[in-house]
Amino acid sequence: MATGLTLKELSKKEDRFTHGHRMCAGCGAPTIVKMVLLATDYPVIAANATGCLEVSSCISEYTAWKIPWIHTAFENAAATISGVETMYRSLKKQGKIDKDVKFIAFGGDGGTYDIGLQSLSGAMERGHDMLYVCYDNGAYMNTGIQRSSATPLGADTTTCPAGDIIPGKLRVRKNLTKIMAAHNIPYAAQASPSHWMDLMKKVRKAHEFIGPKFMNILSPCNRGWRSQTNDAITLSRLGVNSCYWPLYEIEDGVTKITYTPKDKIPVADFMKPQGRFKHLFAPANEWLLKKVQEEVDKEWEKLKKQAECGC
Amino acid sequence: MAKKKMLLMKGNEALAEAAIQAGCRFYAGYPITPQNEIPEYLSKRMPEAKGVFIQAESEIASINMVYGASAAGVRAMTSSSGPGISLKQETISFLAGAELPAVIINIQRGGPGLGNITASQADYFQAVKGGGHGDYKCIVFSPFNVQEMWDLTMRAFDKADAYRMPVIILGDGVVGQMMEPFHPTKYVRPGLPEKDWILDGCRGREPRVIRTLFVGSGELEKQNILLQKKYVLIRKKEVMFDAYDIEDAELVVVAFGIAARIALSAVKELRRKGKKVGLFRPVTLFPFPEKQIADIADRKKRFIVVEMNAGQMVEDVRLAVNGKADVLFYGRPGGAVFNPEELYRKIKAAYPRVAGTAG
Repeated sequence: MATGLTLKELSKKEDRFTHGHRMCAGCGAPTIVKMVLLATDYPVIAANATGCLEVSSCISEYTAWKIPWIHTAFENAAATISGVETMYRSLKKQGKIDKDVKFIAFGGDGGTYDIGLQSLSGAMERGHDMLYVCYDNGAYMNTGIQRSSATPLGADTTTCPAGDIIPGKLRVRKNLTKIMAAHNIPYAAQASPSHWMDLMKKVRKAHEFIGPKFMNILSPCNRGWRSQTNDAITLSRLGVNSCYWPLYEIEDGVTKITYTPKDKIPVADFMKPQGRFKHLFAPANEWLLKKVQEEVDKEWEKLKKQAECGC
Repeated sequence: MAKKKMLLMKGNEALAEAAIQAGCRFYAGYPITPQNEIPEYLSKRMPEAKGVFIQAESEIASINMVYGASAAGVRAMTSSSGPGISLKQETISFLAGAELPAVIINIQRGGPGLGNITASQADYFQAVKGGGHGDYKCIVFSPFNVQEMWDLTMRAFDKADAYRMPVIILGDGVVGQMMEPFHPTKYVRPGLPEKDWILDGCRGREPRVIRTLFVGSGELEKQNILLQKKYVLIRKKEVMFDAYDIEDAELVVVAFGIAARIALSAVKELRRKGKKVGLFRPVTLFPFPEKQIADIADRKKRFIVVEMNAGQMVEDVRLAVNGKADVLFYGRPGGAVFNPEELYRKIKAAYPRVAGTAG
């Protein structure tokens, strides 16, 4: 029987991602991994793309993972878990294994949106029974904050440095959640650690579908966002409440918004505490701040329409 | 006498600035440690130089961008480290096959696999022996200080254009990351043939073709023979090396890149202690200074090769020596870095007990 999603019940469950890892203080990623694994009542096998999470959770001779865990090159988490899952199905067919096992791949935005997109798309199209979880912190944080295709418009990174020539990143983010849904997979969703119940329910729901599932989870990074170490949950909540990071799911092609903020706050409230957007609050860049708001509004309206028409 | 102007920069940054000075106006890269200073520096510097900086979505994309830029006639560069260089290999083979100039930087880290992010020299075989598919070579430079990160980068662009081929700078995490003063030599463009092969629009002239696919009978063999002729010429003309205290040496240390830098400290110390030890340092790894090493071997010296790998260049030294002298080896694989005391002990242990009896 599934464990209830209450703090009391969850506190009795064994953590399958333990303490002692070397993720930075205040990083969103380990919290997300914990939530995903806590919500999973099955035996799990995980694959991990190269990135902060992989590097910091398996420092030689130690591991923070109390589950079978596999890492290969940067671009291959989805391909690697495809191989594991296919072999599992074969063994099951041969009667050599009888357990119900879930397969999860974790990757950051660099390893998912950029270099890993080809293998992710392949896995989604082939239809492996797996859940891919992207912890999206909006840049290559592991190698020193280089821009990725998940980096938000206007953000300052070490390879799109804000200065006299450009005011940070000039392009909007790639909408990966929708790209994944466009593979006609049974389930794609967006979540945030600030709304933990919503996040964990989505993980549970994902596991009940047979086939490829995708979850994109906002993951604050105080090193790259230039924010306070105790701000991860606050910032992810501001991200949700400004509709910069709407919480929704696309189930068999039907979009449902799972949380609508009572009062949609300006996206500037989400950006202001983050040093990576500092330059946008200078008078010369007012136009760009306005554009960021317009982009957020446009995407939010689109999403609402999509939800209303049930498509 | 006027004092030489000196700059204090990280090796990676010096390399990036040297590329700009040498007229590189196209850079495409992708994050990987320990070379991130190169794209970071160029993301700021390229727009100032009216050049193009692109961060690609993968190493494969970045080197293929270089392929395109080079075909359009611009001096183009990409950089990476171990795993990323492995991804670029397919297109390095294409660049060699298509005879396109390009500069590829490998700031080596420990391998295989993800390995670690400390300095290593384990990509010697990959750089020198081909790496990708097919019979091809790249000119490979091995800088051992920040000065050479500057100088050899400039040279790399010239040689890439002169021979129409990919040129590799095989650095490592130490020369890339360390800061030291160097003299920013002014770039002087040598006489180079006009790029009469670039694809820049064929209005008013015959269309040109750049290709690697030669399917006609005998066509590919002919193209390969041309490539090999080029490599023979390079072997004759482009060898670079450094030799320290070789003349009277009873024992010659052979090392490249950062291993040579560390070995030099040990060699100097041994000289102070009266041991006749010298250091031979290949600066070009292809072409390899095989003739120079063979000459030393003729004088009946003993060699010890030291490398930060499990033994790669030592194979080329043994080929050059061809059995005429003893070739010992000391190496540390997996991103382990020597210290001078360690090399002092190892080199001393290899020193012939009775002078003049080595070989």
